[in-house]
Amino acid sequence: LSDCDGESSYRIPPRGARFAERRRIQPFAFTHGYLVRVGRAAAILGVALLAACAPASKTGETVLTFSGSALGAEGTLVQKQLKRFMQLNPGIRVELQRTPDDANQRHQLYVQWLNARVGNPSILQLDVVWTPEFAAAGWVLPLDPYGPARSEFFPATVIANTWAGKLYALPWFADVGLLYRRTDLVPNEPKTLEEMVSQAQAAMARRGGPRYGIVSQGARYEGLITGFVEYLGAFGGRIIDDKGEVVVNRPEAVRALEFMRDELYRTHVAPLDVLTWHEEEARFAFQNGNAVFMRNWPYPVAAMSDTSQSKVAGKFTVSPMPASATAPNGHSTAALGGAQLAINAYTDQPAAAYKLIAYLTAPEQMLERAQVVSQYPTRPALYSDPRMRGTIGIPLENARRAIESATPRPVTPIYTELSEILQIELHRALVRQVEPQEALNSAAARINALIERTGMRKLMSGGAQESAP
Amino acid sequence: VKKISRLGHEARLGWTLVAPALSVIALIAIFPLGWTFWESLHLHELRMPWLGKPFIGLANYIEIAKDPRFWAALGHTAFFTVVSISLELVIGLYLALVMNRVFRGRGFVRAAVLVPWAIPTVVAALLWRFIFESQGGIANALLVRAGILKEPMVWFIEASTAWVPVILSDVWKTTPFVALLLLAGLQNIDLSLYEAAAVDGANAWWQLRHITLPLLKPAILVTLIFRTLDGFRVFDLIYVLTGGGPGTSTEPVALYTFNALLQNLRFGYGSALSVVIFAITFGLAMFYVRGLGVKLGGEK
Repeated sequence: LSDCDGESSYRIPPRGARFAERRRIQPFAFTHGYLVRVGRAAAILGVALLAACAPASKTGETVLTFSGSALGAEGTLVQKQLKRFMQLNPGIRVELQRTPDDANQRHQLYVQWLNARVGNPSILQLDVVWTPEFAAAGWVLPLDPYGPARSEFFPATVIANTWAGKLYALPWFADVGLLYRRTDLVPNEPKTLEEMVSQAQAAMARRGGPRYGIVSQGARYEGLITGFVEYLGAFGGRIIDDKGEVVVNRPEAVRALEFMRDELYRTHVAPLDVLTWHEEEARFAFQNGNAVFMRNWPYPVAAMSDTSQSKVAGKFTVSPMPASATAPNGHSTAALGGAQLAINAYTDQPAAAYKLIAYLTAPEQMLERAQVVSQYPTRPALYSDPRMRGTIGIPLENARRAIESATPRPVTPIYTELSEILQIELHRALVRQVEPQEALNSAAARINALIERTGMRKLMSGGAQESAP
Repeated sequence: VKKISRLGHEARLGWTLVAPALSVIALIAIFPLGWTFWESLHLHELRMPWLGKPFIGLANYIEIAKDPRFWAALGHTAFFTVVSISLELVIGLYLALVMNRVFRGRGFVRAAVLVPWAIPTVVAALLWRFIFESQGGIANALLVRAGILKEPMVWFIEASTAWVPVILSDVWKTTPFVALLLLAGLQNIDLSLYEAAAVDGANAWWQLRHITLPLLKPAILVTLIFRTLDGFRVFDLIYVLTGGGPGTSTEPVALYTFNALLQNLRFGYGSALSVVIFAITFGLAMFYVRGLGVKLGGEK
């Protein structure tokens, strides 16, 4: 569901290919999990047998397993950083455990392992919307006892990783929704959503202007929610408010959805095609010079800056999505994505695991990540570091502003099912099967039913008590 | 007394001999079925361990009965099954009649017809998605050039048009299978019947209605069983082509179940859905076997 997040958005094959990949990887993953368990059992047996007759050569060594993005340049980087960590901490050995790169698959695998109380991998790479789920389930440990430097990270990334007052994961790298703009067609950054639409219309009307005004991700999947969250914020709406009430059918939200629908059917700046599009289709359209604006994650910057494959190299920039001019409470909003690191609750080495998390999320390692694989640091301070210059392909100031305007999607353990409900209802409204108000009423009713069914209210009040001093 | 004990002995030997087969069946069919049913009587959400795993009786089945999305999915499945199988039977019969004729290159045609059937469903679905997906796609280009469409359209955003590629691809892929099953049936029909009918002055239509179709009935029914059960379990084709969208307008029960069971990890509810699908397909199979008298054993 959340394949628009984190590293998985960096290589998004078409849907079908992902399906094929799922079929390919799954058996491997199961086998692998099985082997790990068998391996551990064998190891215990082996140690028991050997203990009597041979001196253990590695006594006192702590072994951690790390599972995270381990493909291509990213994999090489992770291995390099792990090696450095081991040199700094001679008593700790870190093993890299491969997990599927697809977010859905990794999630499913983690859930299976954690249900079986498996302590490996000791460090879990979580998608930004998973942390509350894992925290509420008791699958990851609170990090507060280790004294993490919360204030050094972007506030939104900390909020997203907080459940019932405790911090459960540290943000490793950030992903953020950005508005791409053709600078040759629209030199000035739009200050409002309305201005963005009129700029798009003007550019489309020019002789030889692009076919499309605004391209985005409108297929029925997680990407649709991230786009909706941005329009919702622009109109001052929320999905769930601070008191835990479902407010997604309030007037602000209805207006946001109506605005999205008007882009398709009234102002005609968005092609109907976007209702079947994911990240890559939008990128192709923009990269081939067919669109004035694009809503997307940071990942296309590199490819679109490459003159050999892009028609818009040097002719685009990014900015945060603007707010609506008509909504007094509206504010510029970007959806937050990215990867987090958390400690497996079943590991027997939580302290060492935290040490590794702290190391990987330290400024030096983040800087290296930005330099090698252009992933955005989650520490605001790094955006004024001269060594960051030129690492992410866009002006650092714009990137920092976008992340500062980032809003986490609802921070709740039932996010995935909540998102599924919204995906369906939003899509129904956007393809004009139902009216926006009706769709959002139905979404609110179903989300409330979900909250009842899963005992969330009790859990939330219980959690609040628990977090009180 | 002696006789009875001998029978008992033989019976015991018999049971001993079939025991391995029975235990395999129990292991691969009955045990998982029973387990799934037991699971379906529990509230079991893998993602929400705080709920525990209480026994809740038929609550999952009640939730299914009250869920409009399930009923819609059931309707979509039935619609898909009926429409695609009707088309496949008609076209398949036509193809079978053609292939049953003696002509040059018949072997080649019979092999060529099987090509779509040989392509993995996911690959076929991707091809059809590619054909229909974009406004500049092949389907739109052909239809606009032929003057059927005024301008290119987006097929996947309206329920009525999203079904077109779904059904077309299933018909394209499965008709060869139907044709071959029917061809096998055709080849069992004694040619002298047609000669006699021709001598009596019966035309081709009369021959089709009164000789071919009645004698082909067993083959048609076997085809129907296979295809209905397949149609009811349709998953990969729709998963790739529409993902069940727009909204949930093309979502079949199998996709809904997959979603509940493997995406949302609602083991209890998903198991209940699986049991319901099993009951429906089992009922359909019983209906064909008992109600229509299909002989699966092949006896005359």
